[in-house]
Amino acid sequence: MNTAPAPSRSELKTDQLFVNLGPQHPSTHGVLRVGLTIEGEIIVKAEPDIGYLHRGIEKLCETRSYGQCIVLSDRLDYCSAMTNNLAFCLAAEKLLGVHAPQRADALRVAMCELQRIASHLILLGTYGIDIGAFTPFLYAFREREMVMDLFEMVSGARLTYNYIRIGGVRADVDAQWVARTREFLEYFKPRLDEYDTLLSYNPIFIDRTRGVGVISAEKAADYGLSGPNLRASGPAYDARRAEPHCGYEKYPFDVITAESGDCWDRYHCRVREMRQSVRILEAVLDGLPGGEILAKVPKIVKPAPGESYAHVEGARGDLGVYLVSDGGPNPFRAHVRAPSFLNLSILQEIFLGQRMADAIAILGSLDIVLGEVDR
Amino acid sequence: MTNERVTAQILAQFPQLEKDPSPVKDYPTLRLPDAASLLPVISHLKDSLGFSYLDMVTAVDWKGPVDPAGYVREERAHPFQAKPAAAAAAKPLPGAPYRDAFTLVYALSRFANPLKIFLKLDVPREQPRAASLARIFRTADWQEREVFDLFGIFFDGHPDLRRILTLESLQGHPLRKDYAHAEDRFDR
Repeated sequence: MNTAPAPSRSELKTDQLFVNLGPQHPSTHGVLRVGLTIEGEIIVKAEPDIGYLHRGIEKLCETRSYGQCIVLSDRLDYCSAMTNNLAFCLAAEKLLGVHAPQRADALRVAMCELQRIASHLILLGTYGIDIGAFTPFLYAFREREMVMDLFEMVSGARLTYNYIRIGGVRADVDAQWVARTREFLEYFKPRLDEYDTLLSYNPIFIDRTRGVGVISAEKAADYGLSGPNLRASGPAYDARRAEPHCGYEKYPFDVITAESGDCWDRYHCRVREMRQSVRILEAVLDGLPGGEILAKVPKIVKPAPGESYAHVEGARGDLGVYLVSDGGPNPFRAHVRAPSFLNLSILQEIFLGQRMADAIAILGSLDIVLGEVDR
Repeated sequence: MTNERVTAQILAQFPQLEKDPSPVKDYPTLRLPDAASLLPVISHLKDSLGFSYLDMVTAVDWKGPVDPAGYVREERAHPFQAKPAAAAAAKPLPGAPYRDAFTLVYALSRFANPLKIFLKLDVPREQPRAASLARIFRTADWQEREVFDLFGIFFDGHPDLRRILTLESLQGHPLRKDYAHAEDRFDR
């Protein structure tokens, strides 16, 4: 039996340890590397390293026509391509001075809300996996598959749709699509309660996420956070309310907020947002106007010299597109205000003082997509 | 209505500012006369007028149409297809305000009475410099690093001005209109 006294804390050799989180790790949801310096279990320094997926999309836009740029915008946030399409098209429409017809606006709102549901379902599933709950993933992706089917019906694609066009949308929906969307909504509403019982109020899940990675309202605004990450900290800023686009002011929905700004709030804001998306979708389908789906737009889009900025409330936050035209057929400059990029920048601060195991919970709760971070 | 009132308020406080001749459509856009007025104006907007949210920092290179010859690699000839013609450099267009300058574009928002305002600052293409906003808004840290990375504009007082999206070893700044790709180990 070892009877030697345990060494006191001052005699123990302690050293800081450098740990690479990523770049290829399932919890980073893409190629993100975070250089962590840890002291025991506590993180003392975090350096996010991004750019692994940088494709120079802003530069590529400068040599492509406006129509071709929509295809590139699909590849920014590949989990919510519809909202990317919309942000780019709204900016281009402002440059041209055209407005989409009413039916196209309603269809755009419907697609964006379906996209929000699909995107939040990815978070719901993968965040469960990050924390260690594998079952919710299967439930979430089962429902997401139905949304993918709806998108496939209208656009032919399952991920990169290129459906929203400058001046409207590419294809009209038929009665069958409307019926299937209604069917999906009826099926989906009770599922939301199921997620709450399955994951949200699971005691282990709450233990892992309550009070972890708390972001104050001031800090969230200071770091330029947007979307559910910002609203979970308090500010009720939603681009759909602040600057309604596509007729969002006509539809009933609540801006979901929470107070504490911890991981659980960020997660649950998204679950509650899906319910609001269902509300909007029902209102859209009930009052789907008839008429044209595409405004009169010239075959070759050549806006007069000028600048425009349009922003929409994407699934991940306030997605903005800044376009400069010099009168040519290509954008002179295209810039994307990528919400994931800004949401990620707070990582270097909120990781500090947290436990190593909580790092994954915090990173997952920010819901980043690296395609958008790196552009 | 509010747009004009806020613009008038700012112009009364800083008479050296002027309304931008080519504004960002639908938003109040102000032009800063020199780099020295950047920090006072932004601080005033944040502290007195409630613009507590820096939306966007980006830049525009006004040198002229982009020349793709510098960075588009020659495509491999396909045996059954004619060799694609090299991308032609776009011709300068009349009416576009080409000049030897970068324009820094700042967008600020406020949450109460939602409003977005744009500020623009011209910096010369030789030795482009501007004051960093990182001490006022933490979000400026990464956004300015991105502008530095892609345009090569230096931000004085930035805590950590390094490349962020491209490789440390990359030569040049890709979003400049005259960017030419220097061959590196990934080309071989």
